[in-house]
Amino acid sequence: MDEPQRQRLHALLRVAQLRQLLLQRRLRKGGHGGGPAPRRACSARGRARRGRTDSNPVPQDGRPPSHPATRGQRAASTGRQEGQATQRPPSGAGGRRAAHARPVGEARQDAADARCLFVRGGACAVRATATFLTALSPLISLGLFVAPRTRAVPPSLPAREGLTPGAGRRCPAARPRGRALRLSSEGEPAGPSHPGHPAMAVFDTPQEAFGALRPACVQLTKAQTVENVAQLEARLAAVGAGALQELQEYVLFPLRFALKVPGPRRERVVQRVLQCLSAVLLGTRVRSPRLLRELLSELCSCLPAPHGAPAPAEELQLAAVRALLALMHSAQGDAIVALYQPSCLPLLGFAVSLLLGLAERERAKQIKLAALECLQVLLLQCECQEHRCLREEEAQRCGDLFASFLPGVSIALSRIIAGDVKQGHRTTVSAIRLFYQIVGLVMADEQLARVPKQKEKPSVEQSRIAELIVHRGPEWSRSTSEKLSLLLRKTVELSSVHSHWKVRLELVELVQHLLSNCRLSLVDSFTHLLKALVGLVNDENSEVQSRCNEVLRGIAEQQVIAQSRALADVLSENLHSLATALPRLMNSQDDTGKFSTLSLLLGYLKLLGPKVNVVLNSVSHLHRLSKALMQVLELDVTDVKIVEDRRWGCVGGYDPSGSVQHGVQKGRCQRKYFRFFTEEKIFQLLQQVCRVLGYYGNIYLLVDHFMGLYSESAVYRKQAAMVLNELIAGAAGVGVDVLQEREVSLSMDDLKGSIMSILEEYTDQANWYLVTSIDTEEVSHEQLSVPRSGLAALPGAASSSILPSPEQHITTRTMNSNVWQLCIQLEGVGCFAAVLGREFRLLLLSALYPVLEKAGDKTLLISETAQGTLVDICEACGYDSVQSLINENSDYLVNGISLNLRQLAHQPHAAQVLGTMLRHSDASLLPLVEDVIQDVLSALDQSYNDQASTFLGVLHSLMAALVQWFGLSCSKEHQQRQAAEGQSRTLSHIQQEITSQEVERFFLDYIKQKQIAEGNFSDSGDEEADEVSPLAKPEPSNCDTEGETPLPSHAQLAKDVMERCIHLLSDRNLRVRLKVLDVLELCVTVLHPHGNHLLPMAHRVWPALVTRLISDDPLAVLRAFKVLCTLAQKCGDFLRQRFSKDVLPKLTSSLLSQAAASARAGPVYNHTLAYKLQLAVLQGLGSLCEKLDMGESDLNKVADACLVYLSAKQPMKLQEAAQSVFRHLMRVDPDSTWLFLTEVCCPHPYEPPHASLQPVKLRGMGRQRNEFTDSILLLLEELQQRESAGAQRAPPP
Amino acid sequence: MAQPPPDPHFVLRGTGAAVHALHFSCGGGEPDIPVLFSGSENGFIHVWNLKTHRVDAALDGHGRKSVCGLKTMDGKERLLSQGRDQRICLWDLAEGRTSVTDSVFTENVGFCRCSLLKVAEGRWLMATAAKALEEVQVLELPSKTSVCTLKPEVGAKLGMPMCLKLWQGSCGSQPSLLAGYEDGSVLLWNLSTGKVLSQLICHQEPVMSLDFDSEKAKGISGSSEKVLSIWSLNEQQNLQVQKTHRLVNAGISDITIRPDKKILATAGWDHRIRIFGWKKLKPLAVLDYHTATVHSVSFSDHKSPSDRLLAAGAKDHRISIWSIYTQT
Repeated sequence: MDEPQRQRLHALLRVAQLRQLLLQRRLRKGGHGGGPAPRRACSARGRARRGRTDSNPVPQDGRPPSHPATRGQRAASTGRQEGQATQRPPSGAGGRRAAHARPVGEARQDAADARCLFVRGGACAVRATATFLTALSPLISLGLFVAPRTRAVPPSLPAREGLTPGAGRRCPAARPRGRALRLSSEGEPAGPSHPGHPAMAVFDTPQEAFGALRPACVQLTKAQTVENVAQLEARLAAVGAGALQELQEYVLFPLRFALKVPGPRRERVVQRVLQCLSAVLLGTRVRSPRLLRELLSELCSCLPAPHGAPAPAEELQLAAVRALLALMHSAQGDAIVALYQPSCLPLLGFAVSLLLGLAERERAKQIKLAALECLQVLLLQCECQEHRCLREEEAQRCGDLFASFLPGVSIALSRIIAGDVKQGHRTTVSAIRLFYQIVGLVMADEQLARVPKQKEKPSVEQSRIAELIVHRGPEWSRSTSEKLSLLLRKTVELSSVHSHWKVRLELVELVQHLLSNCRLSLVDSFTHLLKALVGLVNDENSEVQSRCNEVLRGIAEQQVIAQSRALADVLSENLHSLATALPRLMNSQDDTGKFSTLSLLLGYLKLLGPKVNVVLNSVSHLHRLSKALMQVLELDVTDVKIVEDRRWGCVGGYDPSGSVQHGVQKGRCQRKYFRFFTEEKIFQLLQQVCRVLGYYGNIYLLVDHFMGLYSESAVYRKQAAMVLNELIAGAAGVGVDVLQEREVSLSMDDLKGSIMSILEEYTDQANWYLVTSIDTEEVSHEQLSVPRSGLAALPGAASSSILPSPEQHITTRTMNSNVWQLCIQLEGVGCFAAVLGREFRLLLLSALYPVLEKAGDKTLLISETAQGTLVDICEACGYDSVQSLINENSDYLVNGISLNLRQLAHQPHAAQVLGTMLRHSDASLLPLVEDVIQDVLSALDQSYNDQASTFLGVLHSLMAALVQWFGLSCSKEHQQRQAAEGQSRTLSHIQQEITSQEVERFFLDYIKQKQIAEGNFSDSGDEEADEVSPLAKPEPSNCDTEGETPLPSHAQLAKDVMERCIHLLSDRNLRVRLKVLDVLELCVTVLHPHGNHLLPMAHRVWPALVTRLISDDPLAVLRAFKVLCTLAQKCGDFLRQRFSKDVLPKLTSSLLSQAAASARAGPVYNHTLAYKLQLAVLQGLGSLCEKLDMGESDLNKVADACLVYLSAKQPMKLQEAAQSVFRHLMRVDPDSTWLFLTEVCCPHPYEPPHASLQPVKLRGMGRQRNEFTDSILLLLEELQQRESAGAQRAPPP
Repeated sequence: MAQPPPDPHFVLRGTGAAVHALHFSCGGGEPDIPVLFSGSENGFIHVWNLKTHRVDAALDGHGRKSVCGLKTMDGKERLLSQGRDQRICLWDLAEGRTSVTDSVFTENVGFCRCSLLKVAEGRWLMATAAKALEEVQVLELPSKTSVCTLKPEVGAKLGMPMCLKLWQGSCGSQPSLLAGYEDGSVLLWNLSTGKVLSQLICHQEPVMSLDFDSEKAKGISGSSEKVLSIWSLNEQQNLQVQKTHRLVNAGISDITIRPDKKILATAGWDHRIRIFGWKKLKPLAVLDYHTATVHSVSFSDHKSPSDRLLAAGAKDHRISIWSIYTQT
């Protein structure tokens, strides 16, 4: 179409328009056919769309499958299929709502039409149409209609897009697609025709298009019916975009005309028209400002007015809104610029208010959304690429314009945001988005900065309009910001707890947007905004979380806070008030509330970032914050178990599973119980708070402050220690999660300096030696130490002065608290080690000793924590195991031990350390500690009456360790020896079984012996002397010779210890005596392989041991008897004489005297000490006899004493023990035992095998069954079995 | 009320033998690690790092013969050690090296420790007992040229020299040598003339150790008896006994006056270290830690007074470190 032709066409159109107007005025009234209910069409369309999508999922014309069609085409094709579509209700609430609303909508029609504001036209008149047609006819006759080239319409349309409500956010994409279509339709030749569709023509030139469109336009102008509109739509679909642009106004004319037709509106037609209009607009661009204005106002007229008359059908509203949307999207360059002029303010305002009203009051989601979207576009906040960014001055002007809408818009939007949840999250989301966009535009800092102080004087002709324009001066911005602050607060409060995550996500965006645009103007609101943002960091939805983090990080990275003093002030103010409120909140909130409160605290700190330092420099802030932390972190110390849990391993004996490091896992930090919360994650938050403080804050200041709190009051001490630990971890950047790097990272030296001062404080006597138990033993030590260490200079004095005297009441609570205190401090040491890594090795000099001290503590919790700390230190300093840690640093430890041993008050601790070292290490430690063990022994020598029990503890663990380390060799030898013994014994058995010759020899021997015994030999006295001398002689000689062979060091130690034991065996304290006996037993075990040394020691021990055995507390007797058994095992016959002389008579007599008592006693007797003693003696006596290889008379004594216990009247256990004695006796001398037993009771008559032999007469024969019978029969049977078994084993000679 | 004696600050273990000589070198600046050299009976010289309290290096240069004297020449890099193998070795310890750069064969079999005096930059005098029984030889280091040999008059019967102290009065006067002899006398030698300036018989037993304060011209000597003797040097270069102090237990193996001339420490055969005020010889403290004879005492030369330490090495293989500066 050439230029003159187009001009002509335009002119014609104009004429037609004018005529129409005239006609309208004349034909005021005119009917219109009320077509089918719009809803039906809608649903049919939905169906049709669905059908199409299903049937043609893949485009077959060679275009990319995703290539979309313009909306116009879509609309057209939808219209085409409308007829064949069956009724089917659309899914979704909107559809259902529409179904209900249908009759109402119809009823409303008339009224709606009547009150139409901008309607100047009425029904269509035939004549007008005719005129129009005649006007057009010359064009048609010109032959502009050219047969179109055929081409297929893209068959596959993503039908849900574009026209579905969901398209709201995607609509921006519609334009580029449309453009793509244009491109392709211009650049490509016609594609092959689609087999499934009738070939459709595409008209690329305006002439062709005109030809194609003209009939439809004419038809539509003639009669505004749905069918005509559909026809036009169908035609439009075939028109190329370029051509359509040319014919834009021409095509729009009948449509606009249809809208303006006077008289009551036919909603369906109007709706169709609007749809068609949208299609046209989407395919073209509106370049004329006038057209834009007119269309805008015409479309607005289709929208329901905010008040009064009932609204038209929803579909109609929707179509109108969409058309508006399409219009705004199609508006271009100058048109847009012209629209946003002060002169258009009323029109814009009208549109905005209509849309706002729609968004707010309309209940259909789709409409709400569309209205909001439309508003977005109208306020130039559409995200589509098409809308180029406003230039600065344009933005400024728009800002000025929109400032007048701001109150209305913001209030309405905040109402929508606050609306019912049922409106769906999308509505809320778009409302929030629009809200921040408009606020962000109008209140943008850069715009406000450019606003002149004084309002310009408007020129006269514009004065009325200009009055409407707001001057965004400082005054205005202040008051607006105040009002907005209220709205924002409400919005934030509501949406931060909104159930849908997308709303919360949008809130994050809101904060981000406002924070980046309105940092200055909205500073009052940032309290709430930041609060919301920070609070959402821990949102349950990960997307919100990550976005929130991103935003926070962005804020931090841009150093928004650092640069803006105002924001930093807001934050620090928030922090202050939160810190003030924290204790109260912690008291009143539940755990979730506490969690969010603390996340808030953490968020503020993180946001402040490096500014934390500035905040902390304010005394009041630091004070509040620290006090809040102190209160929140208060521990619950009521658990009694903590104090009760004792580590008995140390006291009772060597823990065989001594290699504790295997049992201790990393990160086994003891769970703490807090007064104000129970959840672990809250504690983790608090940890983070402290770490972030440490990360950003001035570590010297913080450490100093919290150290002050630490020493200020015992109430704060635990919390302060906890905080200090975390601070250091944070300062080192361990496990701290921050938004931005600190400016200067802390130097290792500074860190080390702080750590050293904290360590010093922790391990200070007053803080390290706390009362954690009321062990009578320990207290007595402390008590003892008080008068001695009253000297001010003694380091011990400090500790003793803070140790409450025993009379002072120490509650479990205090002790619990102390236990926790120590644990926290120990954890701190571990944490410091982790922080310093290998650098910590230098601090081991001072730190390792205290930790080991606590590892030996008797309170389970403390020792476990200390062991954990040891593991931490190992890891940090690069030691393989606790053992190597101890071994490699034994010099430090030994030094500490030896120095502490010099002070009475610290001797127990030193002893504990040594004990721990021994427990955790192996034999390789021995050479390293030998030195200090000598110190221990000499210290024991100096103060054996005071500290004996402490040192005995060490000696015990030492000896136990020695047994453990060197016991293997001892036991091996022992086993070998036993094996040898066993062999010889079986051999003897074998020999016994041999032949009559043996019997004969035995008999002869017997006679000889008997003669000797009867004194028939003259030199019997000599014999006796001989027997005694070999026993008596070796003793003194032994002592002399032993010293010559050098002892291995461990044996030498055992010997030294044993020597001390000799002195201590007669200590007046029973507990000490018992301990000594234990140690003695271990000494004997260690010394066992070195008989030359053991025997003289045994000799020296003997007198004291005997005293224990025969005249001491039963407990001691019991223990002593055990020692005796061990000693017998080791020394064997060396003790025989002494035993039979010194001990046995006493034992047997006590057994005999006690027998009566136990025979009479009831079941309670089993719990008495006497019983236990009896039992122990009976259990041990047998093996003792065996080991010592006792003589016959002694054996008889034993047998006599034990016989009474075979009685059935005795307690069962005692009977069994007595039986065991006889079993041992059987082994030593089966014959005499047999005889002894049969004397009491003999079950079998023994017939002599030959008459020449005298019949055997045993005293026990034929006795009545008595109390002994059962036991004895049992024993005899066993004996029988043993003998026969031995006979079987013996090889035949 | 008198304060109880303090505990050792630290105890160094691990020399493996009795400690006979100690020498601090702590004068360096901050990055420099303060060290203590110790010489033990098994011929090892241990270099103790006073920060970690551990042995940094063990030097073996005297053929497992006891090390009896240790000195440094300008910082810890150059160490002079005297051993019972009749050698005096000069060690180069810079940059982790542990090599003997030079040695002097003294041929002396006695116990006498050598004495070293810096007379000028890069020039030292060293006095050591010579091969002949009563002689003392003075060498110049590092050139090892003999300055003079100090022989007592014939028939003086002084016995072996037991301890030596080279000193130099203020304002560049001639260096002199104080020597304690086996017969209990202390002689002042003029190095330039090689003549005895003064002789003082202050002990009945061999002089085990002496130290001299050149500012106050006052010296102290200890012997194997129970007496400490303080003597002074008057203008006429005459030694005269000023005071004697009786000890409870006999035997002093080492005496050192602290560089600031305020106190002195003695190493006793009774296992104790005694601290006296130098001015009036007021007994200040008895440091009781060792379990055997103390062989050597030494004060550190830390720059900051509060860091300064006292070390004592004893027959019990231990070196005790004491921090007594602030307490006295």
